[in-house]
Formats: sequence, C-alpha cells, structure tokens
Amino acid sequence: MTILREFGSRLRGLFGKQRRESDLNDEVASHLELLAQENLRRGLSPHDAQTAARRDFGAIEQIKETYRERRGLPMLETFGQDLRYGARMLRKNPGFTAVAILTLALGIGANTAIFGVVNALLLTPLRFKDPDRLVMVWENLRTGNNPENNISPANFLQWQEHSTVFEQMAAMYDDHLNLTGEGEPEQIPYKGVSPNFFTLLGVAPFIGQNFSADNGIPGKDQVVILSFGLWQRKFGGDPGIIGKSIQVDAHPYSIIGVMPRDFQLFVKEGSFTGEQPEMWEPIAFTDRSRKPRGRYMSAIARLKTGVSLAQAQSQMDILATALEKQWPDFNKDWGINLVPIREQFVGEFRPALLVLLGAVAFILLIACTNVANLLLARAAQRHREIAIRSALGAGRKRITRQLLTESIMLAGFGGALGLLLAIWGSRLLIALGPKDMLGSNTVAVDWRVLSFTMVVSLVTGILFGLGPSLVALSSDVNADLKEGGRDSSGSTRGNRMRYALIVLEMGLALVLLVGSGLCVRSFILLESMNPGFDSHNLLTMKLSLPNAAYPTEEKRIAFYRELIARTAALPGVHAASADSWLPFTTLGAATDFQIVGRATPAISEMPVTDVRIIEPDYFRTMGIPVLAGREFNERESSAISHVVIVNQALATNFFPNENPIGKLLMIDMKDPKDQKPTEIVGVVGNVKHEGLNTTPRAMIYWPHPELALPFMTLVVRTEANPLSLVSAVRDQVKSLDPTLPISDVATMEQRMADSVAQARFSTLLLSLFAGLAIVLASVGIYGVTAYGVTTRTHEIGLRMALGAQPGDVRRIFLGRTLRASLLGLGLGLLASIALTRLLASLLFHISPYDPATFIAMAILLCGVALLASYIPARRATRVDPLVALRHE
Amino acid sequence: MPGDRTEVLQGTLDLMVLKTLDSAGPLHGFGLARRLEQISGDLLHLNQGTIYPALLRLEQRGWIGSRWGVSENNRRAKYYSITRAGQRQLGKETANWERVAGIIGRLLRSPQEVQ
Repeated sequence: MTILREFGSRLRGLFGKQRRESDLNDEVASHLELLAQENLRRGLSPHDAQTAARRDFGAIEQIKETYRERRGLPMLETFGQDLRYGARMLRKNPGFTAVAILTLALGIGANTAIFGVVNALLLTPLRFKDPDRLVMVWENLRTGNNPENNISPANFLQWQEHSTVFEQMAAMYDDHLNLTGEGEPEQIPYKGVSPNFFTLLGVAPFIGQNFSADNGIPGKDQVVILSFGLWQRKFGGDPGIIGKSIQVDAHPYSIIGVMPRDFQLFVKEGSFTGEQPEMWEPIAFTDRSRKPRGRYMSAIARLKTGVSLAQAQSQMDILATALEKQWPDFNKDWGINLVPIREQFVGEFRPALLVLLGAVAFILLIACTNVANLLLARAAQRHREIAIRSALGAGRKRITRQLLTESIMLAGFGGALGLLLAIWGSRLLIALGPKDMLGSNTVAVDWRVLSFTMVVSLVTGILFGLGPSLVALSSDVNADLKEGGRDSSGSTRGNRMRYALIVLEMGLALVLLVGSGLCVRSFILLESMNPGFDSHNLLTMKLSLPNAAYPTEEKRIAFYRELIARTAALPGVHAASADSWLPFTTLGAATDFQIVGRATPAISEMPVTDVRIIEPDYFRTMGIPVLAGREFNERESSAISHVVIVNQALATNFFPNENPIGKLLMIDMKDPKDQKPTEIVGVVGNVKHEGLNTTPRAMIYWPHPELALPFMTLVVRTEANPLSLVSAVRDQVKSLDPTLPISDVATMEQRMADSVAQARFSTLLLSLFAGLAIVLASVGIYGVTAYGVTTRTHEIGLRMALGAQPGDVRRIFLGRTLRASLLGLGLGLLASIALTRLLASLLFHISPYDPATFIAMAILLCGVALLASYIPARRATRVDPLVALRHE
Repeated sequence: MPGDRTEVLQGTLDLMVLKTLDSAGPLHGFGLARRLEQISGDLLHLNQGTIYPALLRLEQRGWIGSRWGVSENNRRAKYYSITRAGQRQLGKETANWERVAGIIGRLLRSPQEVQ
C-alpha cells in the first residue's frame, strides 16, 4: 500500500512542476529568513547572519536537487530528456531522419499490411457461435484426388442417424432459382439447407424467424429466408416483408425471415453456383433421398463439447466402413473427411500467406540493415559528442539508453507512417487479391494489428540501434577527444560492421529474388499452358429455364436452338453454342461407363468419365480441334440418336491401340430403362476443364436431346471485344422470353484469369517485395561505399599525390564492397536452397531448386551491387589531390 | 563549533521527525529543525536543509500531512503534522529501534570474545 501511495504521489510530482518548484523556493527562503532573524537576535551583523544561515542550512542547490529527484520519477524524467534530446538530433538531420523513417515505414508498413490479411483470415474469430467446433463433412474417394467431394443425401441421413460425436449436422447444396414478379426477373444463387442450419451455426435472423423442424417435411418446405443484401436490393429493405409470398421458379414461397447484414457462409468447395447464396430454402428429405445415388450436397456439423476432431474422424471412419458394406455399389472406396471450418475457408491461401509474411519479414530486415548503416555513419560523426558526454561522467548505460531511445523513436515514427501505408496498402491487397480470398472476413486495423505494429517497431528499433550504439561506445574516449572533431571512420569495428551489414543485406535480397523468380517463372508456365481451346474473344453467360414455363424437353431444346441461331446471326458474332458445364466455370457432372463388348468390371473398378451436354457448333465456337471422326449432325442435335463424342484422354486411355470411332459405350447417366449403348462418332482435343494446372480427364460430349437439362452456359465467339456484345445477346434472350434472367456474364479470359488469381496474387506481391529488396539493397551498398569515399578523401588525395592511378583508387572501394557482396550472395544461395522448398506448394511445373533461376538472380543482384558501388567509387577518382589533402 | 556533535544516522531522521511531530504538533521545517537541535541539546549536527527531502519522503508515504500557513515572520510556510498512518508507523519504528538498540547495547556490554 505504502509503495503504491508513494508511486502515485511521485507520478503526480511529474506534473505542475512550476507550482511545486515555487513552493519549494518559498519554503527554503522562509527557512533561511527565520534562521537569519535568529542569528540577528544573537547579535550577528546582517551580512554574517545571512552567511551563517546558509551554512547551517547546508548546500542549498544540492538539497533542492535531491528534493526534486525525490519528488518525481527520475527514470521517467531521464527518458523524457532522452526523448527531447533525440527529437532535437532528428530535427537537426532532416535528410537522415527522412530516409530512415521512410525506409522503416516501408518495411513496417509491408509487414503490417500482410499481417492485416493474415489476421483477417487466420486469426479473427469467425462470426458463428464457437466456430472452432464447426467442421465440414465431405466424402472422399480414396482412389481419387478430391478429398473434399460432395456428399450424397442417403449417406448424410445415415451419418445423422448413427454418429454420436456431433451435437447437430446440417446438409446443404446450392443452385440458382428464378425469382419472378419482383421487377426484372432474376437468377438468384440460393442454398438449400437442413432446417437446423442456422441454429447449428448459432446465428438468428435479423427479422422474422428461423426455419422450424416442420419445414423439413415435404409440403411444408415452401418458405425462404432472405439475405440482408437481397432484402435491400430487391425489396427496398421493407420491414413488413415477413409473410409476403414470392414466385420462386414459378411456385409461391413465403418469406419468413431476413438474415443479419454480416451473415455469410460460403464454402467454395462443393459449390455449383460459385456464388454467395442470397436466399435459403429448407431441404425436405423424402424416402427417395434415402436411396444411395448422386453426390451433390455438402454438410456442416458441430462437434460435441469434449469431442476432439481426431475422435470424431475415427468414428466417421468406422461409419464409412459400415456404409461401404451396406451399399458396396455406391460406397466402395468412399471415406469420410472432416475439415474444420476455418481450414476450409483459408486452407488454400495459408501457404501463400505464410510465404508472403516471410517475405515481408525479410524486407524489414533489409530495411533495418540500411538504417543501421545510416546510424553507424552518424555514430562515427558523433564520436566526439559521445566522448564528451562520457568525459563529463555519463555512464555506458546512460549513453546506450540515449542512443537506443533515438533509434526506437525513429522506429516509432516509421511504425506510425507504416501503419498509414498499411491501411492504404491493405486496400490495394484486397483489390489485387483473388475475389474469394476474404470470404466473409474484412481487413481492419484491430488491436491485434496495432499491437503487431507496435511490437515490430520496438523490436526493429532495438535491432538496428543496438549494433551502432555498441560501436559508438567501443572507442577510446581520450583518442576521440584528441582527434579534434574529425570523424573516426577508421574505427575498424564500425567498418567491419558496415561490411557485415552488406553481406546480410545481399543475402536477404537474394533469397527474396530467388523466391519471386521461381514464382514468376511458374506463373508464366501456368499462364502459357494451352487450355485446349481458344480463349480469346469468347463471351459466356448462364441461363436456366424454369420448370413451370418449360415443362417438356422439347420446349427446352427448342429454346436453346432458337437462341443460338439468333445469336449466331448477330453482326460481330462468328459462332455461338452452349455447354452444360463450361470450362473454368463450375463443377461438372461425371459418371461411370462401360465399353460394350468388353468384360463387365466390378462396380468399384468401373471407369469414370466427365459428361458435358452441348449444342451444335460447340467445337467450332470454342476452337476445340476435332481429331478424328466428325461432329454431331443436324439430326443428332435435334433428337436422341445414341451417339457420343469423346475426348482424346478417353480415346487414348481406353482405346490405346484401336480406332475408337464406331465403338459403343454404356453411360450410366439416365434412368436405367432409358440407357442404350451410344456410338462414338468423333474424338476431340482435351480441355483443361478445372484449371490450367490440372491434367485432362476422360470426357464425353452428348448432344442436348440426350439429356435435356434446363440450364446451359451460352458461349459466343466474337470478332472484337466480347463485352461489346453483351447487350445485343441480352436483347435476343429477352425477345424469346422477357422473364428469363441471365447470370454470371463474363469473358472466357476473365474466367481463366480468375482461376489463376491466387497464383497471380502471390506472384505479384513477391515480385513487388523482391523489387523493394533490390532498391533497398542498392541504396544500402551505395551508402556504404559513398560513405567510405567521403571519409577517406584525405587518404585518396595522399595516394593520388603519390602517383596512384584512378583504377587503383576505384579498386580500393569496389574491392571491399564486392567482396562483401559476393560473400552475401554465397550465403544467400545457401539460405535460398534451405528456404525455397517452403514455396513448393505454390510452384507449378518448376522445381524449387531450379538452378537457372538461382544463377540468374545471383547475377542480377551482383550487377546491381556492382553498379551501386561503382558510382561512388568513380567519384573517388575525381578527387583533386590538393583539395583532398587539405580536407579535414 | 563543539567538537563532538553527532551526525544523524541514516534512517533515524524519519523516526526523529515523526516523534517530534507527534509530541509537538504541527511545525514548519525551520521549527522542526530547531526543535530537533534543542531536544538533542545542540549535540546533534544537522544540515537543516536535509530535513526537506525527508519530509517529502514521509509525506509521499502518507505518514505526515502538510498545509500552507503563515510563519512567525509573516511569510508563507508549510506546516507538517503527523497522520494516523504516521502514528502507527511511529509505534512500529519505536519498537524496532528499541529492539535494535537493546541488541547493540548488550553486544557492547558483553566481554570481548577470544577467538
């Protein structure tokens, strides 16, 4: 208690200094007067009385000083002095201060910006109740390569019944629906969810109510909950919306709730729309759902308290084995895979983010070495000042504290400016980043980001300040005072440290350069991959015919045939067609098949093929080469004719030494009664459907009548910029059906760019950072060499007066810098070899040890170092010996 | 100046100040210093100024309080008085002092030990 009270009182003593000082003076003066009066009474002369009073009182100033120290907190006050003194020093050298603060701001800003994204994605809690207990439940074909495969309703219902590790499970799937009768007809991405979906997440509607268990019963499921965005956009935020009936796919549904503004749950994996849902509908499972067929849903579950992920996974493994036995045809080799929800959202970005975080740490280290270099140069100039201070009795600790205070101040200013840069930079990051990167997260400067910046600034300040202050203290006071103010660049310790910093800087820069070089080469390789079709000048858009208005297959087929004919006739259009699942657009359908005439394999060994439904002229429109046979003819495109076109992968995998044309396939896609052998009439080139870095799989193309789907993606080959034709094509759709919505309009090039957005993002940032590293490193090398030249002008003059040639002088400076640079490059190469394997998961078709990249980057950096040191070294040779000799 | 005036022992000044304020009531710095000298029969050598840092320390610990008043010579002067916490502290320190003094006394009176 006493200690606390004393501290509080001393803390107060820091303020109101003037009043306290005058109180002290009053008290002392009054005391002296009383003493003097007493002396007068004793009969001393007035002068003697005063002197005696002073003697009895003691050393007035010393006592006052003791009193003052006692009054406040000396540590804090010294710190205040250091701050004031530091600020004066920084103001006195505005050039130095500006360069140092800017360098640090770049370093700290880059770190804060990247950390901001890491914070948003990896650290900020998701806005669900206990999000750490939420897991996605996927099926996983052990022989396949997609551990996050969609699930089947039948399996889901079995899990729900038999698992005991979850509090709740909810199924979901997504699709588009047609919303009509509310202004423009519109295709709206929606999600079908188990009625307990929102309860499971622990999120309540903003207005209205949640689905009830009843909504899961067929017949009672015609209710919807709107997203906040849709409510605002389509219904003007009408507060009386609850209970309103709307037309969904030409059926009446009633609105029972609106979700809060910030509610989002979108999992890209397993999504068919690829879009955030704007509406939720309850799933009503029927008896049919219990039959094992079709995997198109996904599932989310909440772990029971006390159940670990591993425990849950092992129970699901047992369940999967049981289901394999129950339905071997359907479940052979299918396992169950649990993925925590956070991992689901950011798993794919994690490696790139961590690499970027590493890269910015390197940038900060380079920035630190640069500032340390500046401080070293300045410490050399301040030797005399420091010598005087220690001669006057300042201890080593006191001087170190002073110098560290200065460097931490620099770092503090750098950090503050860096934070501003980061706020601006993170906006840029989001704009550059893949559009689904953030998901429902937002990048904000919260306490985590702020404390990150503060800690980084503090550590930075100590890091770059400590070395130079040790050097500053190492020298001999006497020698420094005698030197008469000439700075002592000759101090070998300072020099050694300067060149050591070059070594470090070059090493760090090389690692960054090699890393970004690898990413750039990998990205160029990726982008130059042939997708299997001509992606230029292709316009694409999605259409979906509502069942109510297009009940028959004939109507659907006729609509698309007519639309395509009209579109193809538009001026500026070369060709038009449509595909059920266009490359780079969505997941597509796949199924198993058999080759007629060959032995029927076991069900689990059945070959699998992707399936696409196409309109006439598809291959010409897309620019996919027909390698053998022919395209579908007019008759085949208009009515079921039992013909199929396969891709090259299917042809070479299944007919390696035969002509596939004329062979018959049984494709398991329709009701068994409609299944007939279909004849291969053509072979076309492979298309990389799911991304440039994928290997093409077996695929079959069917004409539209074989499977008269209501939804298709229109694809239009144009003469010029495809986007200039959007409104013309829209008009054609409208003229055929004014209520039909169009969605997801994009050029094929946009879709392909989106598919590599993550690789582009990390490549772009890494290159940016590598560029920054080159600039910082060359500034550093330039600075060290230039400093060497300036401080050795006298010596150069002497040498030249004694007959040294410009080449000799140049060599002195170049030699040292280059030796340090080469050592740095060597160490950097070793570090790169150790570190680039962390990049492996980001690289495509290139080894993380690619020697060409390593060598090219080392040469590039070496060239930069040479240039940065050559310029000041050349200046050294222009020194006039006479001037130089007089130079002090 | 008398030759054998005693220097104030470190740490005993607090005790003396507390005791004086306790028995004499509120005093200003000069009065306190004078009083200390009087009681010691002028045997105590005190640089009067040194009591001010001591007074500040005691005040910061909450053992004495201060109030501005007017001195005999009509000048502004600070009057110090003991607080309740100060009185408790005085009790503690007195007991402590007596114990230590007792030990030292016994030690000094005992015959020299031979090693």
